[in-house]
Amino acid sequence: MLFNFPYIKRDTPIHRLDPRVKLILLFFFGLAVAQTSNFWFILAGLIFATFYYSKARLKWSETRHAWIFIIVLNFMIVVGNYFLSAGSVVQGVDLSHQHILFSIPFFGFKSMPPFIGPAPLIFSVESITFMITQGMRNFSIALLAVPIPFTTDPSQMGVAFKGMGLSYKFSYAIDLAFRFLPTVARDFSTTLDAQRARGFEIDKLRGGIFGKIARLAPMVVPVVIGSVVGAEDIINAMELRCFGVRKRTWYIELHTRPLDRMFIALILIGFGAFTLLNILGNFYTLGPLHFLHTQGIPHFLAP
Amino acid sequence: MAVTEKRSASQIWGVGVRQIVYMALGAALYGGLSWVTNSLQLPSAGNVSFRPAIVIPLFFGAVFGPLVGLFAGGIGNLLGDYISGYGVFWNWDVGNALIGFIAGLAILYTWGRYNTTQKIVVAEVLSAIGIIVGISFAALNDMWISKLSFTTAVTGEIFPAAGSDLINGLILLPILLVAYNAAVRRTGRA
Repeated sequence: MLFNFPYIKRDTPIHRLDPRVKLILLFFFGLAVAQTSNFWFILAGLIFATFYYSKARLKWSETRHAWIFIIVLNFMIVVGNYFLSAGSVVQGVDLSHQHILFSIPFFGFKSMPPFIGPAPLIFSVESITFMITQGMRNFSIALLAVPIPFTTDPSQMGVAFKGMGLSYKFSYAIDLAFRFLPTVARDFSTTLDAQRARGFEIDKLRGGIFGKIARLAPMVVPVVIGSVVGAEDIINAMELRCFGVRKRTWYIELHTRPLDRMFIALILIGFGAFTLLNILGNFYTLGPLHFLHTQGIPHFLAP
Repeated sequence: MAVTEKRSASQIWGVGVRQIVYMALGAALYGGLSWVTNSLQLPSAGNVSFRPAIVIPLFFGAVFGPLVGLFAGGIGNLLGDYISGYGVFWNWDVGNALIGFIAGLAILYTWGRYNTTQKIVVAEVLSAIGIIVGISFAALNDMWISKLSFTTAVTGEIFPAAGSDLINGLILLPILLVAYNAAVRRTGRA
């Protein structure tokens, strides 16, 4: 089994960005867009995320696998959420005057036994806007999340977490985990070949769901137990080299450029301002301060 | 000559070389095996894959302690998503970390030795609790992050994900624990 990290070495603004900036941006962007269902704000976030993604210069052929997964996933989340909630999807917005377009007969959950029964599936301006906003929100987060593995050298991940304040022991463990991955993949491949030579067919596991899982044991057990027993040698080698007696340094040192520091400052200020606006919106139910608590639907669509 | 084994809290909560290596190994195994099975998606409303690899954080937690389980689950899930190119989804990383952590609390009773049925049952019960709590944490967070309704979070994410993880984890965990016991006896290492 060939194992490759998705990292693609290239010289783009996103590749040059400090890994910590990418992680901080993703985290705070996710927290910011979770605070609102305003169409215009989420649209602005999507435009920003698309611009950021375009700067990574990732080709469709390189990210196709991930995007197909994300598109299917997002579609299932949005549509599944709509049907499972019987159209009552809009959250955090006053829906006392919902503009219903049409409804179709459907099944819904009920509070009394048998807990499921016929109920209308409502399509309103608000619920359709919410679905679009929800889809845009998920795509904007994905547009910031996908470039991370493709533009960040895996050897920098441990140092990046160390730079964000994680203990050096945990940061070293992250580094070590990335280094173990190819070994684990090789062991898995060797075990798979060995078991296949004994007649084990992972592609054609027979039996019910329980039987199939139990029949995975000849694959999982040798790989896990072999790795655990073999790790004793690594522990001995590290102890012989006095690992953990003093704090370690890394071969790679991440230096934040003024641009990286500026980005981090902008992200934190932007997030702080956004959160403040959201909190203030709870106290002022009218006017621009309440902006984040509305869906931002134009008047002609929902008079 | 009789050997008396010292048992202290530092064995469980301390982070030494042994714990660091097993954290890294657990994360790599979880990430690697998840990568192999990530393509097996379950029909659900969220990011739910059929994942026999869930047994890894349960096993590493139960044998090497809650911190090892926490790391193996959290970083392992991050690694699995990372190498699949899906990016980083922190609430599922934290949810998986919780699974490993809670499963690891079994060590408070078993001290990492699973030589009786009773100890294996304790590990199974805590693993089941860990799976339910961890998956619920991630799915209920999706109510806030992806604006899912409660019904969708429960029926679309918690039921399929926790159900699949419970079946996979609870079948494979005792097999791994028994195999580990045999390996320890054979090699004389523990």
